[in-house]
Amino acid sequence: MDCKTAAALLEAYLDNELDRDTAREVEKHLDACADCREALSKLDEVRIALRDTKLRYVAPNDLRERLFKESHATTRAARGRWLALAASLVVAFAAGGLFVSIGHDRATVIGDQTIRDAFASHWRALAATSPVDVVSTDRHTVKPWFEGKVSQAPQVRDFADQGFPLVGGRIDYLGDLRVPALVYRHGQHLIDVFVVPADAVTKNESVDDRGYALRTFAMGDQHAIVVSDLDEHEFGAFAALLSQR
Amino acid sequence: MTAATNSWIGDLVQQHLDAAYNLSRWLLGNEQDAADAVHDAYVRAARAAHTYAGGNARAWWLAIVRNCCLANLATRKRETHLRSVEATLEPPTPRDAESGVHADQCRSLIADHLRSLPAEFREVLVLRELEDLSYREIADVLDVPIGTVMSRLSRGRAMLQRALADIGDAAQEKPHGL
Repeated sequence: MDCKTAAALLEAYLDNELDRDTAREVEKHLDACADCREALSKLDEVRIALRDTKLRYVAPNDLRERLFKESHATTRAARGRWLALAASLVVAFAAGGLFVSIGHDRATVIGDQTIRDAFASHWRALAATSPVDVVSTDRHTVKPWFEGKVSQAPQVRDFADQGFPLVGGRIDYLGDLRVPALVYRHGQHLIDVFVVPADAVTKNESVDDRGYALRTFAMGDQHAIVVSDLDEHEFGAFAALLSQR
Repeated sequence: MTAATNSWIGDLVQQHLDAAYNLSRWLLGNEQDAADAVHDAYVRAARAAHTYAGGNARAWWLAIVRNCCLANLATRKRETHLRSVEATLEPPTPRDAESGVHADQCRSLIADHLRSLPAEFREVLVLRELEDLSYREIADVLDVPIGTVMSRLSRGRAMLQRALADIGDAAQEKPHGL
């Protein structure tokens, strides 16, 4: 790599936006070129100056409280309407002997919507330039990244030795659950593992859609919803890894 | 709007409230307008929750915040053609020429320089360096191609680099604050 190419990539390198191979090429060039090292350290000075925490404004408490109150007020109002609707259904049921199918799903129990969302999330990830928000093969980076972003950070393990390397993680919504997704790779296959609380899964699901499969497994005190295009045999192997403690 | 959408919007907003406020504060230049824009953004987000088509939720939320800020700036422009954005920013911290350049002053100098950058460069720097968004997220917030994000970031950094070099020179001239 020559200086011209490297110089054009320095910022993307600093911003961690290069793929691993290109980043390595840039590093190789940096090792040999003092001018580019100098340019990189100049860029880094700007970053250090800007990242000084005192430049970041923090939301005033009264704004935080105002929004918190409003979001709760509307939630309660909306819940009130639902209760009214539910009550009217009960009345209709009692009065007319109507058959009313009210989903047994609590908000946190996975249902058809969750399953559709899990497939959708997986396909979006496949179409995106990067399937992960935090790129790391190091579980010690991935787990802390989740902390503070989701109520329960998932256990993160790397199965690189068994042929299922950890690629990273992201966060997505399944129904109204905010869910951490661990992303693994097996050969050319991308595997999404959505980690949900154990009580969200009442029975093991097994759904196939357009060549992709969704399976649920117990994983310690949590449950995993796994979406991928692995074959049945590979799925089995991966499930065994996930469920081992 | 169901209770469920409302609570996820509420969670999202609470979680990225500082990010929203910081962006808004840097775009609008004062506390009151910044807080109002974030509040407007929350109302819009709650109404538009059903249009959220997946993808990065933080970028979706910050895009709404940014649009509210732009709306505020547009109103200001209508109200007075003379008052520019910069005019409503608080004045730069006064510096005592005698006291030399200390760390605190460097910081306020950098803040002044960031504040005086055109908004298009200021916002990418705020999103990248203060909020740690990826190029793709910034592109989503601004609704521009990633290439545009990269070139704005690069120009913004170059401007600040020159400013930093000036600060460095000033510090060298008066190293002991005499």
